[in-house]
Amino acid sequence: MFSVGLIYLLLIGTIYLLLMLKNRQKAVESLLIARQSLLKLLPLLVAVFGLVGLFQEFLPPELVSRWLGESSGLLALLLGTSAGAVAIGPPLAAYPLAGSLLAAGAWPPAIAAFILSWISIGIITLPFEAQVFGSRFALLRNGISFIAAMLSGLLLGMLL
Amino acid sequence: MIRTLIRSQWLLLLTGGLYLWAFVAAPQRAGQALAIGATTFTSVLLLIVAVFGLVGLLQVWISRELIVRLLGREGGIKGLLIAALCGTLLIGPSYIIFPLLMSIKKQGARWAVVAIVLTSYAVKLQMIPIEVGFLGWPFSLGRALITLAIAIPAGLLLEVLMEREK
Repeated sequence: MFSVGLIYLLLIGTIYLLLMLKNRQKAVESLLIARQSLLKLLPLLVAVFGLVGLFQEFLPPELVSRWLGESSGLLALLLGTSAGAVAIGPPLAAYPLAGSLLAAGAWPPAIAAFILSWISIGIITLPFEAQVFGSRFALLRNGISFIAAMLSGLLLGMLL
Repeated sequence: MIRTLIRSQWLLLLTGGLYLWAFVAAPQRAGQALAIGATTFTSVLLLIVAVFGLVGLLQVWISRELIVRLLGREGGIKGLLIAALCGTLLIGPSYIIFPLLMSIKKQGARWAVVAIVLTSYAVKLQMIPIEVGFLGWPFSLGRALITLAIAIPAGLLLEVLMEREK
């Protein structure tokens, strides 16, 4: 992953250089936004990678496969979606956690549903969503997203 | 002060607490866990820095204002496709995204547009290299395609339900 990162960084760096020549002010502004968003996320990233280590060392694979494994089927799907719905945080945090669950033997559809509901369903932000859009929209949207997350997970399982 | 700290950094506090417990219960394995975490972090750090470089670029060159204008303009199937695309590019916490979308709605956009953006929001184009790093190409690409395919019917269903009882 290190070399992929390096290539990607060189690519983005080149784009910055070109834009620097074209519109210096906007390029600098982008760089500042990049730095600010990264710094804001740093504590969370530390937490997530700390958790990844704990998962790998302490989470027994039997436990993961019993609750999130393929043999648990619908229950695994439901658990993955619910866990994602309760959790809040940027998508960036979901990937490493999902990766370590997959490595421990979780069923891919359950993990796909977990990521989807992590990003698109927010139990904790539901009151705020209701305040902005009205409670009817908020409830319907989160309900439909819950079903859509499980459905997408199943579809992905068929695709893989 | 403490409440906002808990609210914004609950995951960090939780992880810290777990490590504390782990170091008391099994110091050697806790050290091992910390080492695994640190190794994983350093292996993706460059990628994360690069992705945030891209995030900055997108924010400035494809600004939220531009997305708002794009979303408000089209109504038909083209509008729905634009909504799906915009959702994949928008980033930001819900307290920014929700009011932004509501303002688009008030300017006359359809409920379906709002709902589609919030579903396709689960695909993050700029984050795909990181997702691939952790979950692999087939998983990431499949997930993105399925989410986009489901966003439009789910959005239309929501619109129908929203407008049925009025």
